[in-house]
Amino acid sequence: MPKGGFNPRARWNISVPGNLDLEPGILNEPVEVLACFKSCRITPKVFIWNNKEYHVEAVTYSWQERLGCALISYFSVLCADQVYQISFNNSTFRWQIDKLIS
Amino acid sequence: MSVFLHVDMDAFFASIEQAVNPRLKGKPLVVGSRGKRMHTVVCAASYAAKALGIHSGMSSREAFLICPNLEFVKADQAKYIWTSERILEILQGYGFPLSYASIDEFQMELFGKVNPLDLGRIIKERIYADFNITASVGIAESRILAKLASKLDKPDGLSLIDASNFKDVLSRTCLDELPGMGGKTGAGLIKTGLKTCWDLYLNLPGFFKEDDKNPGKSDEGPKSVGHSYTLPDARKNPQVILAWIRLLSEMVSSRLRRQGLAGFTVAVRLAGPLIGDFCLQKTYKTPTNDGYEIYKRAVQISSKIASKTPRIRLIGITCSGLSFNAYPNPLFKEDARREGLLRALDSINNRYGDGSIYPAVTALAR
Repeated sequence: MPKGGFNPRARWNISVPGNLDLEPGILNEPVEVLACFKSCRITPKVFIWNNKEYHVEAVTYSWQERLGCALISYFSVLCADQVYQISFNNSTFRWQIDKLIS
Repeated sequence: MSVFLHVDMDAFFASIEQAVNPRLKGKPLVVGSRGKRMHTVVCAASYAAKALGIHSGMSSREAFLICPNLEFVKADQAKYIWTSERILEILQGYGFPLSYASIDEFQMELFGKVNPLDLGRIIKERIYADFNITASVGIAESRILAKLASKLDKPDGLSLIDASNFKDVLSRTCLDELPGMGGKTGAGLIKTGLKTCWDLYLNLPGFFKEDDKNPGKSDEGPKSVGHSYTLPDARKNPQVILAWIRLLSEMVSSRLRRQGLAGFTVAVRLAGPLIGDFCLQKTYKTPTNDGYEIYKRAVQISSKIASKTPRIRLIGITCSGLSFNAYPNPLFKEDARREGLLRALDSINNRYGDGSIYPAVTALAR
C-alpha cells in the first residue's frame, strides 16, 4: 500500500452508529454447511438451516473481513431463486447465515 | 517516456451489489450510507439510476421522489474495501508503479515496450472475470489526461488520448467536466472566459503535462486529514454532539499517527438548520495527533458559535498544517503518559482492527 496515498481502510465504521440500523432480512443463525476447500478457496455447496437443505447453485460473490483476530469469509449464494449471505469464521470454525438478501 | 493508465471502476459500490444479487442487474439502484432508506445519502447509483438523474451525494428521499421503484441497498464497506484491495493486488502483479487514487480508482505508470491498449484490455477482462464488475480504462501521457480518458467511454470503456485526438477531446470537454474543476476553481476559470479544456490548454499548456520534477502524485504527503458525518436528523443534545466530535477527532488522530503525521491546524465544520454552515479553523503552536487534544481544540473552536444549544446535522473535523512526527517528543510527564497510551491504543487497533478500542464517551454517539 502506498504510504502517502489513499488508504481504503481509513474507516471506523465499527464505531459508526449507522451500522446499528436494523436491516430487514438479518438472521445471524448458525447453519451446517457442506463446503469444498480447494486451491486455497472455500466453496459452499449445501447448507442446512431450520432442518431444510439448501443446494447452492452459484456463489454470486465472496469477500473477507477481519474482525478482531478472526477472519470472516462471506459468501452470497443463490439457492432456488433466493440469494442468501452466509459466512465462515476461521477462528471459531462456525458457519452462520447472516441474512436473506432477496 | 512513460504513459499513464487510469483504471476507474464503473459505479463501483452499485456494481458490486448487483454482482452479489443478480436480480438487481440493469435496475435503478442506489447504495445508501445508512440502512434507513428515506433518511440517508446516496453513496453510489447504478447506471440505470444515473440515467434518471440520480447521483451520489443526493438525499435518498430526493432519489425516491425521482424513482419510487428505486432499489435500495445499505452500504457494506467491508465488501468494497476487500474488492478494492484485491484489484490493487491484481494491478500490482503487472510490476509497474501503482497508486491508489481512491477506493475505486487506480493509476499505473507504464514504461518500456508494453502496449498500453492491450494491457488495458487484459486488466478489464481480468477484473470482470474475477469480480463480475466492469472498469473503464483511460490511457494518456499524463495522470490528468488518463483520468479524463477513463471518463470518455463509460461504462466498460477503453480510451486513449494521444496526439491524434488530443485537440478533439479537449475541445469537446467542458472545463467543469475536468477532474478537480467542479468547484470554485472551475467556476473561477469559467468566469474568466475559458469554456473548454482546449481553452485552458491554449492559456496554460503545462496544465495537461506530467510534472517531471514531482513525479508520482502518490508520493506527495496529504495536505489535510479529515472526517465528517451527517447525522440522521438535527441533534440538540450537547453530549451527543460532543461525543461525535470526540469520535471524529479519534478517527482523524488514528489516521494521522498511522501516516506518521501531526497537525498544527484544527478545523471544525458544523452545519444545522439554525446556524447554517459554520466553518472555523485555528492554528496552534504545537502539532498534535492525539485524539483527545484534537477534540479539546475542536471544542474550543466550536465555542465560537453564538447559540448555546444549536441543532447540528453535520459535524466535520479536519487537521491540516501537517508535519512528519508520529509521536511528538513529550516534554512533560503527563505528555509522556499520553504518548504511551496512544502507542498502546495503536498497537491494539493495528492488531485487532480499527475501532477495536476507543474512548468510552464515543459510545454516546451510537
